[in-house]
Amino acid sequence: MSDSTKQHVLSKRLNKILESRLENDQDTIEALRELSSFYTENTLQARRNLRSQIEKRNLEINRDFLTSFKAIKDSFEVVYNDIADMNKSVLEMTQQLRNAKAQTKNLLQKTSALQEEKSKVEFQQDLTKAVLLKFELQPEDLKLLYGEPHRKDNPITLETFKILDKIHETHSNCTVLMQAGMQTLALDIMEQMTLHQERVLEIVYRWTLSHCRNIDNVEFQEILAEAMRRLQERIVLFKYVIDEYCVCRRSYLVGEFLNALTKGGSSGNPAPIEMRAHDPQIYVTDMLVWINRAIPVEKQNLKLLVKSCNQSGLEELLNNALANICEGVCQPLRIRVEKILNVPTQPATLYAIVNMLRFYKKCINKVVSGGLLEETFVALLQKSERTFIETLQKQVNTLLVRVETPPRDLSPTHAILNLLAILRDMLSTASMSEGRETDMVKIAGTVMEPLFKAVNEQASRLPPTDMAVYLLNCMYSMYTCLSLHEFMETRLERLQAQSDAQIDTLTSEQASSLVANLSLGPIYTILQDHSHGPLSGVPGMEPSNLRNFLSKLDNLLSQPDSILLPQINLLASSKHKKAVQKRSFAVLLAIYKQLYEAVHNPENLYENPAEILSKTPDELSRIFE
Amino acid sequence: MSAGPYNYSYIFKYIIIGDMGVGKSCLLHQFTEKKFMADCPHTIGVEFGTRIIEVSGQKIKLQIWDTAGQERFRAVTRSYYRGAAGALMVYDITRRSTYNHLSSWLTDTRNLTNPSTVIFLIGNKCDLEGQRDVTYEEASKFAEENGLLFVEASAKTGDNVEEAFLETAKKIYQSIQDGRLDLNAAESGVQHKPSQPGRTNLNGDQAGVKDNCAC
Repeated sequence: MSDSTKQHVLSKRLNKILESRLENDQDTIEALRELSSFYTENTLQARRNLRSQIEKRNLEINRDFLTSFKAIKDSFEVVYNDIADMNKSVLEMTQQLRNAKAQTKNLLQKTSALQEEKSKVEFQQDLTKAVLLKFELQPEDLKLLYGEPHRKDNPITLETFKILDKIHETHSNCTVLMQAGMQTLALDIMEQMTLHQERVLEIVYRWTLSHCRNIDNVEFQEILAEAMRRLQERIVLFKYVIDEYCVCRRSYLVGEFLNALTKGGSSGNPAPIEMRAHDPQIYVTDMLVWINRAIPVEKQNLKLLVKSCNQSGLEELLNNALANICEGVCQPLRIRVEKILNVPTQPATLYAIVNMLRFYKKCINKVVSGGLLEETFVALLQKSERTFIETLQKQVNTLLVRVETPPRDLSPTHAILNLLAILRDMLSTASMSEGRETDMVKIAGTVMEPLFKAVNEQASRLPPTDMAVYLLNCMYSMYTCLSLHEFMETRLERLQAQSDAQIDTLTSEQASSLVANLSLGPIYTILQDHSHGPLSGVPGMEPSNLRNFLSKLDNLLSQPDSILLPQINLLASSKHKKAVQKRSFAVLLAIYKQLYEAVHNPENLYENPAEILSKTPDELSRIFE
Repeated sequence: MSAGPYNYSYIFKYIIIGDMGVGKSCLLHQFTEKKFMADCPHTIGVEFGTRIIEVSGQKIKLQIWDTAGQERFRAVTRSYYRGAAGALMVYDITRRSTYNHLSSWLTDTRNLTNPSTVIFLIGNKCDLEGQRDVTYEEASKFAEENGLLFVEASAKTGDNVEEAFLETAKKIYQSIQDGRLDLNAAESGVQHKPSQPGRTNLNGDQAGVKDNCAC
């Protein structure tokens, strides 16, 4: 058995060798290649030596390796030393860094603190700048406001007002500051601003004071208006300026008025108003027209001056100012108009002047009320009205100074007709004027009263019938003249009543003349007396006598004109004439009726009464008609 | 035109007579204007005044003729007696002569007016008591004898002026009520309907003509 196992192991080994594929074993191939480098000859020697040679070579290689390794080891050691050094340095450095770091941290803290502070400070600076910009006047502003120190008259421009606005705004902004808790600053600024404001307003005031007269210069209008707006806050200064303005404009207006009166326009066109002073009406009209035209211009100017101001409560001030401006022209106007009124003038002309004054007083009153101008107008108006009435009175008195005897035809005398013509003219003019009612009543009174007296005076020298006719004729003329106009009711009523009275007189005269002509007097007396017996037996009532009366009556009736008094035909009004006629016939008719009834009364014992008085009263009345 | 002034039912005509300077015009002025006219000029011919008064609720317009006292105007003034419903006869209590002339004034009045005319005697200037020349009793007796109403008045102070004019009107109004006064008679001095004076009159006439045409 052992043998077989040995054999077996061997076979196994062999197999192994045999089976091993050398070509596949890289190491073996490598080893063999190495072998081939030095086993060049296949000799015994060589074979014997192979082993040693291999070993020798192995040794040699190891020795080589060792040497090489030693070199490496040295190098490594060097490297190691270096690294160790380095490590040491790094450690050192780290240490150093750590130290540095510790030190820097402090610094950094400081730096950031500083930085923070810096930004804070910067912010504050901005803030301050902003505040200063907002609450301080800039140098250029100041320069604009107060100008160059060496120049005295600094012109005011619209810029000035912008700055003033700014001052104002700043001032009001200070309340915000105040609320923000910065009282001291706010108060300081406020004080400063107030000072500025005062100073600027002072400047504006002085400038306005000296320039306000130039309101009609377009260049200044805006600035002046603006200045006035500012000054309105200082009402005293404002009023001073207005006063100054008034003084300037007043003298300007007077100057212009006097120029218009004496020099006229440039190169004499329009001609000076006084050129036509010989015609009072034109003269006064021209003056009034001029004033009426000039005053609205002044009002316009005044409005321009205060156009930017707060208008509330300004009206009275402006009106007073305008009245003040107009004061200047009062004196020259007054003197001239009074001069005209003092010269004897026709009443018609004076009346025209009165109306003119009234009209322009009203016109001007619409523009400016109160003041000396209105007073002047009122005074002139009063004076002219008085002068007018006085002149009219004088004229009337002159015309009536002589009591003329009425003409034979008992028509109104020339003087009376003349005066009535004047009255008619005057009334037609007055009926178109403004205060016509008072005027007309006054004019009518002025003319009619003396006229009445004169007529009565004239009439009192005439016999009753003539007197009545003359009065009626005069009153008829007056009536016709007055009845054309309004407001004459009272006078007409009086005329009417007076006419009625005179008609009564005439009627009674006419009736008695009729009674006398017909010898009716005794018959009437007997008829009234009822004490006696039958009438036919009474003397004067015999049928023959009655027939006599009747024939006279027939006679009269055939010539109706002859039965009238001659004066009745002189009556100017046919209405009056008819009234007298009718009423006197009525008297006659009444008596006839009484007689007729008496005759037909059987108690009176008339035979054939129808024969004696053939006409019934009705028939007679028809004839009269 | 407002209807105001014509708002009355009657017109009474008065006449004021008496010697020169007894104060006739002043009485009228005091009555119409309620003022005393200090230096009143002599009346020439006649003056005229109106006032509307009220009697028993009726509006009455008084048309008052103030006549000249001067003799030379007697012819002119006589015309106005005829239509008078009331005559105020005035004398001056400080001048006897003016009182003495009353009977002639009264005759004139009686002759020229109608029987129903109310005559009122007024002794004017009763404010001048110190200068009195005619006693109240004497004048009162005269008035009684002649059936006149009588009062002493003063145009200066206005005493009794209103009363004299109003009493006269009352008396006239009473006559109308009693039917003693014929309103239709032309000389009664009373007009029932106010005849509107002036242009309205003309218009009225024209209207009348038109009415006739329409017929």
